[in-house]
Amino acid sequence: MKKNDRSREIGRFQPLPDDERLICRCEEISKGEIRKAVHDGMFTLTEIRRYLRTGMGLCQGQTCAKLVRDIVAKELGISAGELERAAARAPMRPIEMRAFANEGNGGE
Amino acid sequence: MIRYDLIVIGAGPAGLSAAIEAARSGLQVIVFDENAKPGGQLFKQIHKFFGSKEHKAKIRGFQIGSELLEEAAQAGVEVVLNASVIGLYLDKEITVRIEDRLLHYKGDTVIVATGASETMVTFDGWTLPGVIGAGAAQTMMNLHFVQPGKRILMLGSGNVGLVVSFQLLQAGCEVAAIVDAAPRIGGYGVHAAKVARCGVPFFLSHTILQAEGDDGVTGVTIGEVDGNWNTIAGTEKHFDVDAICLAVGLSPMSQLLQMAGCEMEDHPKFGGLVPTCDAYGTTSVPGLFAAGDVSGIEEASSAMIQGRIAGAAAALRLGYFSENEFVLRAEELERALSSLRQGMFAPENKGKKLSATEEGCPVSEHLLRTGFLTEDEIFCYPGVKKIKGIHPVIECSQNIPCNPCQDACARKCIKVGERITSLPVVDEEVSCSGCGMCVAACSGQCIFLVDEEFEEDYATVVIPYEFLPLPRAGEKGIALDRSGKELCDAEVVGVKSLTAFDKTSLLTIKVSKEMSMRARFYKKGVRVG
Amino acid sequence: MKNSSDVIIIGSGVIGNSAAYYLAKRNYSVTVLEKSNHIANGGSVRNGGGVRQSGRDKREMPFILHAVRNMWPTLSEELEMDVEYYQEGNLRLGKTETHERILTDLTNTASSCGLDVKMITGEEARTICPYLSEEVTSASWCPTDGHANPMLTTLAYYRKARQLGARFITDDGVTEIRKVKGRACRVITESGEVYEADTIILGAGYESRELAATVGIDVPMTRWLMEVLVTEAQPPMFYQMLGTAMADFYGHQSTHGSFVFGGTSGFEETNKDNGTPSASSITAPCICRGIIKYFPALENAKIVRTWGGWIDQCADHVPVISYVDEVPGLILACGFSGHGFGISPAVGLTLSEMAVDEKTTIDISKLRYDRFTAKI
Repeated sequence: MKKNDRSREIGRFQPLPDDERLICRCEEISKGEIRKAVHDGMFTLTEIRRYLRTGMGLCQGQTCAKLVRDIVAKELGISAGELERAAARAPMRPIEMRAFANEGNGGE
Repeated sequence: MIRYDLIVIGAGPAGLSAAIEAARSGLQVIVFDENAKPGGQLFKQIHKFFGSKEHKAKIRGFQIGSELLEEAAQAGVEVVLNASVIGLYLDKEITVRIEDRLLHYKGDTVIVATGASETMVTFDGWTLPGVIGAGAAQTMMNLHFVQPGKRILMLGSGNVGLVVSFQLLQAGCEVAAIVDAAPRIGGYGVHAAKVARCGVPFFLSHTILQAEGDDGVTGVTIGEVDGNWNTIAGTEKHFDVDAICLAVGLSPMSQLLQMAGCEMEDHPKFGGLVPTCDAYGTTSVPGLFAAGDVSGIEEASSAMIQGRIAGAAAALRLGYFSENEFVLRAEELERALSSLRQGMFAPENKGKKLSATEEGCPVSEHLLRTGFLTEDEIFCYPGVKKIKGIHPVIECSQNIPCNPCQDACARKCIKVGERITSLPVVDEEVSCSGCGMCVAACSGQCIFLVDEEFEEDYATVVIPYEFLPLPRAGEKGIALDRSGKELCDAEVVGVKSLTAFDKTSLLTIKVSKEMSMRARFYKKGVRVG
Repeated sequence: MKNSSDVIIIGSGVIGNSAAYYLAKRNYSVTVLEKSNHIANGGSVRNGGGVRQSGRDKREMPFILHAVRNMWPTLSEELEMDVEYYQEGNLRLGKTETHERILTDLTNTASSCGLDVKMITGEEARTICPYLSEEVTSASWCPTDGHANPMLTTLAYYRKARQLGARFITDDGVTEIRKVKGRACRVITESGEVYEADTIILGAGYESRELAATVGIDVPMTRWLMEVLVTEAQPPMFYQMLGTAMADFYGHQSTHGSFVFGGTSGFEETNKDNGTPSASSITAPCICRGIIKYFPALENAKIVRTWGGWIDQCADHVPVISYVDEVPGLILACGFSGHGFGISPAVGLTLSEMAVDEKTTIDISKLRYDRFTAKI
């Protein structure tokens, strides 16, 4: 465990030509929004996810998790491997409320 | 709640193999898969597999899938399809969505074999319809018989990119180019050579700058990158394409294991986030195992063995195997697995630039940059010899785990030896019957039979051919060289399609003598000029 | 960077972050120490987002009244970030006579505190929210209740406090609070770091208990695992906060379009976990059954995520917001019992006043740490 000082210097937000590019397709979050979130103090993938909803859509981040991670790592000036993945949560596939409610025991 | 000895999640190569191994040892096993068909990616794999007999080499992926299903049925494995596992909870409990219900199951052991999903890269226009994963393209073609596009650009020169490019050609699509940001082709040279001789150009050290189009892809611009992955101005190249396939890697679908609280590790060598496992797929949660791509990206052949090992480990845990039985079985399986992990593409060689083969033959930079060997280079390899009369020419230049050519030759003219990664050696002393079994058996389609004494001025070249319609004997056309360039006139003098060739037809083309070591493919038509 | 500041806040939940903001706004130097890798990784970002006055204990009522009347309506503006606050009312629904009795009792309590809450019929409830099932026969209705986005609110406080100079350090949990010459003014962290301040605010949820123990104080509380789920985005339907007489579920539709529902299976007090607040296999299905009975229109909405979070359940289900007589310098803000989010702006404000020894705007006398006594 190492302490993570959120006041450390990461430089100012500098606009980039591809900031408009969509990264999380499910929730329509752009690269620029992700980069700005880092400068707003969101230093972990979990914080980014809660702040912007990246990876919270129907695909649950299967597509964008790596992309977001690379962007955040670059913005923080660290390697992508240093960023812990966000949690995986049930249901692994979206499920209608009525099916979710309709429980039974296997083999019945 | 019904309790199984073993619940397997995922009916792909790893999951089915695990289930078979465990059920044969006496475990009561149930397998859940979210798809309508079992087999995972196997049923999309129409190419012949590498490896040796124990790895089901030279058998096509979909046939391996059918074999596994049959074995599973015989072993008494219950396979439940259209069954999405929703969560993996404490006490090895899972919930499964089947039709409109959510069912709870518990296993004394659980093997997660959920495979992987395709990694994406972004560029301007990457969200346009027509930008798809190479795996998706394969699904469209090989399961649903739909062309992903008419003219396609492939990003990624690993085995997936190369194999899918070839399949696109087989499906009647045009492949405009194979592009990779790396300076060298990532997949097997033989796979690259297959597409190169069909005329597909490679652009290494290139990346996609932009996909163009309003409602869908109509074109793509690529550009060269320097050592720091920055685009070099002025190197832009445009292609009119209606689809772009991305074959830039796979990510383990390890979310269930993460949710179950397994200790995880995140490393590029595994392709992403995987559970920390021992050699048997044992995770940090007792009784919970992982096998196949979910525990680190490899390919189907190793996934099947990993599955068997995890199945055996589950059998040991539940007392269906004694310690001794397990050790013997595990040793046998680990040997098979380790032989697949040898050679130039072994995990420890990932990213390394090798300059020579195990035999000391030079590695062809030309092959790694263009997808094909030069005529001068081929004589460096022990499968290429100057021999009178019909003889095999094996253009196999890399140490890859594969030896069906050795078994194919009844006269023992081809030797790979104990190490299945060794380059095949053609024995000049043994005369070739010209049966063509080696040509059809080579999963890399890199064996040709050359007869320079066919007629006074003409030689024949036997080439493996997997396209429809099949040319007919007597047809006149054009011989292509290894780069797919038109070389000379050619006449088809023989077409052989035996059951033993398993759908690889052998085309014998007649070309002028001096072209015998250059002509490597054939197309119908008349040469201009 | 120096390790001394005016105030140390232990825990970067919504309480800690809001206190940090109100202190930083007044130019006090603040250090927030968080054990988790993430800012606000506990109940603050995992709850159902209710900002309700109805159904509260009398002792908490001044906080929520102050927050709803003076803080929530302008919070987005103040923090320069949309916290998705909706003041569209709270419907607490009943289907049976028993339910109606429970609702009536709650309504009477709330009215006596001056809250604009009343009992309405099933028909009236359906006029407010046309998606309600015909089975709903009664409801309590509080038009000034509402909801907000707990993730955005918590992170908005953090963002703004950080911009104003509050120092936040994650991945470094406090292991000990120490007295120096009779006053609590020093904390030690896992990394061995020592921080000093004039005042220490302990707002670390359930973990406050073991930290308070390092200075010999106990707040009787336990840890319950609560669960929440979220649907895919739906077309705009209704923006009231919803609940039921039996508290089977509660929730709302968010700006994003998704519905967020919390709820219970009845095993919250005894659920086990694997060391993380993980969801159980039975709670989310149970919540869904509850929802469908009241909102049949949602039966085809797809659930995309479920999650769990621990609440610090105090012995009397009411928070401790208190100075500690024997440990001057220490301020407790814990035991929120799942009621913390809605009152967080007012609690943060109060803590900021307490930390600098000002008279508090809101009466804190009923929330003392030493109110717990044996029953006989």
